[in-house]
Amino acid sequence: MVDTIYAEDEIIGTKKAQEIISKFRHAKVTSIKRFGEVFNPSNQNFRIQKTNPALILAKKQKGFVLDAPKGFGIGDQNNYYFSHMYNCLYDCSYCFLQGMYNSANYLVFVNFHDYQNEIEKTIKKHKEKKMTFFTGYDCDSLAMEPITNFINDFVPFFSRYKKALFEIRTKSINNTVFRKHDPLANCIVAYSLMPEALAQILDKKAPSVSARIKNMKYLANKGWRIGLRFDPLIYCSNWKAQYADLFANIFKEIKEENIHSVSLGSLRFPKSFFNKLLQYYPNSEELSFLRSNDKGIISYDQSIENEMNEYCRSELMKYSDARKFFSCG
Amino acid sequence: MIEKNFEGVSVRWVIALKGEAEEIIKNYAMKRVATTPFPVYKNKDLDMWLILSGIGQLNAVAATSYLYVKSDASYNTIWINFGIVGSRNFKVGDLIQIDKITSSDFQDNYYPSPSAFKNNNIERCNLITVNKPEKLFENDGAYDMEGYGFFSFAKKIAPYELVSVLKIISDAPGTDLSKVDKHRVEILVSKKIQFIEKVLENLLDLQKILFLQLRDPKYFDEICLQKKFTFSQKVTLRKYLTQWQARFPLRNPLEEIGQRMTASQILKKFSDNLLR
Repeated sequence: MVDTIYAEDEIIGTKKAQEIISKFRHAKVTSIKRFGEVFNPSNQNFRIQKTNPALILAKKQKGFVLDAPKGFGIGDQNNYYFSHMYNCLYDCSYCFLQGMYNSANYLVFVNFHDYQNEIEKTIKKHKEKKMTFFTGYDCDSLAMEPITNFINDFVPFFSRYKKALFEIRTKSINNTVFRKHDPLANCIVAYSLMPEALAQILDKKAPSVSARIKNMKYLANKGWRIGLRFDPLIYCSNWKAQYADLFANIFKEIKEENIHSVSLGSLRFPKSFFNKLLQYYPNSEELSFLRSNDKGIISYDQSIENEMNEYCRSELMKYSDARKFFSCG
Repeated sequence: MIEKNFEGVSVRWVIALKGEAEEIIKNYAMKRVATTPFPVYKNKDLDMWLILSGIGQLNAVAATSYLYVKSDASYNTIWINFGIVGSRNFKVGDLIQIDKITSSDFQDNYYPSPSAFKNNNIERCNLITVNKPEKLFENDGAYDMEGYGFFSFAKKIAPYELVSVLKIISDAPGTDLSKVDKHRVEILVSKKIQFIEKVLENLLDLQKILFLQLRDPKYFDEICLQKKFTFSQKVTLRKYLTQWQARFPLRNPLEEIGQRMTASQILKKFSDNLLR
């Protein structure tokens, strides 16, 4: 899988770094001073790098816990996100990471304890408030679990802070780690979903939607709480029928009481991200519906966005309580 | 072999000395097209050029920039620095592909993209660029006199993924450097030419991906010839035509353009069509 590992001098000798390196016996390990030497140079091509991504092991220096964008959340007052990893094993055509980073290499920050210390401080600082910590926005944490053991480290950590919700956003069907731990009431395994036919085109290298549903069912039966994330909603010629089928398929398999929350989000990019995506996927019909608005954001026409949101909400209300519905930004 | 009918092929070799370049020149049928300030060679049919830079970082940078201008190299060009190096931890005759470049003079390090190493089974190694021939070999890796200078410039004019440094070990601690002559170097290179070809083939595959990303959408040139578009209008036109191709593959956008339409009316027409 990975044939090149770059590791910062500062952390190459740490237990976590060595643990990860030992999983790639045939990889060439190269020492670096700072991850930016490899990850940041401009003039790199994301798509080409995606053909053979390297793994970069680094130490996060600051910015461990960040405020989630305004309007983003699943019901709590305070919302934060943290990223122990940049870039993803999967290769979804609409993924904003392609527009955001110069590099497709997997960057893993191995100093998990520093993240936990900062999360702990944040929880203690706002102990009166309910809060959610989101992960899996700059990577798919669960997909990389066999390499990083991130969830294995963070589930026991969050078990100490019952008031803080921990959301793991994923498309992965890896359930090994969830078998190792007792279900945690404040942990949400949130699945990104879209109609199967669209996912076959757009969610490259990711498990099929039916496999994701099967895994959600498995986890729900084990007692884990499930999040449904229809973000982004993708517009195409017969989107209504496709989304209606998707919702029906999900709720045929999963009991409503196992669903913690449902969120919907529109497809949106800053202009510079979108221009890169269009260059990478000139033949994408899905990208051809997007337009620039007055604020320099690329999105569907407002009427399309509204129609999709309203339709999907009303369809979902056939199966689930609308109080569980949230909007992703 | 190189696919001659693929329009995106563009390759530049930067090599210090004739002895190191001889086999490459022969293998890719290049002929000399200039003598000063640097000898330059070119293949008759392909956009493939080679320059003899002379020894040292300054020469490497000067030659790379000279070839960039002289050959009108596009952004989507493969740049390869090839030559002989000394090393204490490889055998004489080994071909190595460089994955880290350091310099005795500068703090910054460079890391050629691993995309270029995929599936070629060629040993990888770090390169230390020094200012005079190395005799002590205090560190593992390969020692040369051009790689750092070459890479520092080439990465500015081409994507990282298309810039490669490829070396053959010619000497080790204790080697009598006077015996590393032109003939001996040519033999070392000739024994590895098929692997060098393989590296180039891999880079050409990457170049193809980039070429398809960078090319203008269908009908872009025709439409720009018909009407006068400003720079920013051209950017928008490029975007709309790309979306048009994906959405209406069977509809010719030229047919949407009325004779008296201005550039902005054309853009509006495309935009309206693409809205739904």
